[in-house]
Amino acid sequence: MENTVVKIDSLVKRYGDLIALDHFSLEIKEGEIFGLLGPNGSGKTTTINCLLSLLAFDKGDIKIFGKEMTPTSYDIKKDIGVIMQNVAVFDELTVYENIDYFCGLYITDKAERKKCVDEAVRFVGLEDFLKFRPKKLSGGLLRRLNIACGIAHKPKLIILDEPTVAVDPQSRNKILEGIQELNARGATVIYTSHYMEEVEKICTRIAIMDKGKKIAEGTKDQLKRMIKNTETITVEVLGLTDEVISQIAGLPHIYDHSYDGSLLTVFCSGGKHNLIRVMEVLQKNDLSFGRVYTELPTLNDVFLEVTGKALRDKED
Amino acid sequence: MQVFKAFMKVMRTRLPSILPYVIVFMIISVMISTVGGDEERFTAEEMKICIFDEDDTPQSHALAEFIAKGNELVELENDDDVILDSLYYASVDMVLTIKDGYAERLAAGETEDLFTTKHIHDSYAIALMDQLLSEYVVTVDGYMAGGQDFDQAVESAIGTLSKETEVTLVTEDSTMSKSEYFEGFFRYLPYILISIMLNGLCPVLIVMNRKDLRYRTNCSSIKVSSVSVQTFLASAVFVGAIWLIFVVAGVILNGGLFVGTAWLAVLNCLIFAMISALIAMLLSSFNVSDNVVGVITQVISLGMSFLCGVFVPMEMLSSGVLSAARFLPAYWYVRANSMISGTEHFDGSKVLLYMGIELGFAAALAVITLLIRRMKYNRADSVNA
Repeated sequence: MENTVVKIDSLVKRYGDLIALDHFSLEIKEGEIFGLLGPNGSGKTTTINCLLSLLAFDKGDIKIFGKEMTPTSYDIKKDIGVIMQNVAVFDELTVYENIDYFCGLYITDKAERKKCVDEAVRFVGLEDFLKFRPKKLSGGLLRRLNIACGIAHKPKLIILDEPTVAVDPQSRNKILEGIQELNARGATVIYTSHYMEEVEKICTRIAIMDKGKKIAEGTKDQLKRMIKNTETITVEVLGLTDEVISQIAGLPHIYDHSYDGSLLTVFCSGGKHNLIRVMEVLQKNDLSFGRVYTELPTLNDVFLEVTGKALRDKED
Repeated sequence: MQVFKAFMKVMRTRLPSILPYVIVFMIISVMISTVGGDEERFTAEEMKICIFDEDDTPQSHALAEFIAKGNELVELENDDDVILDSLYYASVDMVLTIKDGYAERLAAGETEDLFTTKHIHDSYAIALMDQLLSEYVVTVDGYMAGGQDFDQAVESAIGTLSKETEVTLVTEDSTMSKSEYFEGFFRYLPYILISIMLNGLCPVLIVMNRKDLRYRTNCSSIKVSSVSVQTFLASAVFVGAIWLIFVVAGVILNGGLFVGTAWLAVLNCLIFAMISALIAMLLSSFNVSDNVVGVITQVISLGMSFLCGVFVPMEMLSSGVLSAARFLPAYWYVRANSMISGTEHFDGSKVLLYMGIELGFAAALAVITLLIRRMKYNRADSVNA
């Protein structure tokens, strides 16, 4: 049986009249990459801050590695690594000194620390920049330094709070690969983001948050099964009459559709061979068509359906 | 000691902004110590005197020659405007006119109204010159009364009054033999200490208190109290090092170890170094930029120095300014320093009282800093289950 690494039970956090977390509960098992997904202001960072006891909460209970988490739970903290959205390093120290400093906050033994720092340097590929000051590093290298500072002490639980914000696609992919590698080495990962494709790519289990509440939780497949939509068919076709459209709408498992004069979108719920049936209707009516494609539901569809709005709305 | 080490590494990057203050102060101190060396020699004061001899006799010439011995004779046109201008612009200190009939009247035993003098300022030197002239005529008259003829009496009087007295400077306490240098060295330290602490310590503390770095540190397994203790220790080491540099410099420039009450000045300096460090800590609580720190440093260091008698002696400051200065620690530092160095009458209990007031300022600054930090950086110390 997998061990529970993090257990949050009915957490409530208020900022005056604003309820930032509303009876929020969560359980994360050992070895998971757990995605905390939600728009800006949904309560992700508040959850992380409460989890790390950096923020007092009004109600609830938090346990990490089976022990209650308090501001003085230093034995728990030594096994946690935190990587924030902002690059938090000393501009006055070199790359090596920075990693050594943050690693030294967890590991006091000099020889052991040196080993860990060297390993972290190799892991993020900063061997050639050890004597550089952060201001001399590019954005991507800075992110790697930020990660090295958070993982050098080999934590069992790694919390990444939107680590890819304002990062170029190439560096973003490297960061995601790194997270997967850390997980493969045995670390449990909590990953918060509002980039759904990232969460979908690396997370084994996901919780969707909105307005301080958990509105859905499960694996990608479980989440996708929670929604009505199982398949979206899109066809480029001209001159569709109302009669043809009503024939398509009448097909089994089709619960919604739209047509803008050139693009027909059909939403299906369950069933097999939906695409073939739509094609047959078009063929029967002697209609020629261009590109045809079918998509399985994404987390965005899940989010759209469970919250009633697109995830990026608030970000924009 | 990770936090301590990081503090020192960050401090290393701030050294270039501190060094100019140390170097400039050392140069000024060396200059002061060079000037201070002259205090051990006595030299009689010379006056610039212009003599108009209306009598023009051998006796009046003898008097003029006698006066010229210890003073500088200046030649002027005998014109009221010229004389007034010369006195006004201090190209001459006194104008002496030996009146017509001087020799004849002195030979007849008259000692009054033989000269006229003109001068602008009343000074000890002018008073002494007036006294010397009176003494001269009285002495000549005395020798004549003793049976000498007029010429002999003049010669005897000049001989008597020309005798020089050997002067040896003796101070109350031999440790203060360079009291002015000593007073100067420690008097200017408040400006330097505030500048160094605010330019050196304050930016480092701002870095160590940076929100994102503090967040990361708070997430780690290091105890919050350990971070505070290490930061305090590192600050104390910096303050101690700066203080020690100036004490050692003072010892070198003084030409030997401080002894006796001089150590009180060293202690006074340490207390003010602590006050400066606490001002830096208070300022660092506001996370201000380097530029703002620079401006505030100038305002505090120069403002306090001018108001509290660091740059301008307190005697030259108005009572209103001094009343306001009482609310600043530098005022009490300067008062204590003046007593210790002997510029003011030494009173041990008062010196300790002044240092106590300085410590009171230090305590107040510490409390204000802690309150502000508690309000700003209040961390979740208790979590409601």
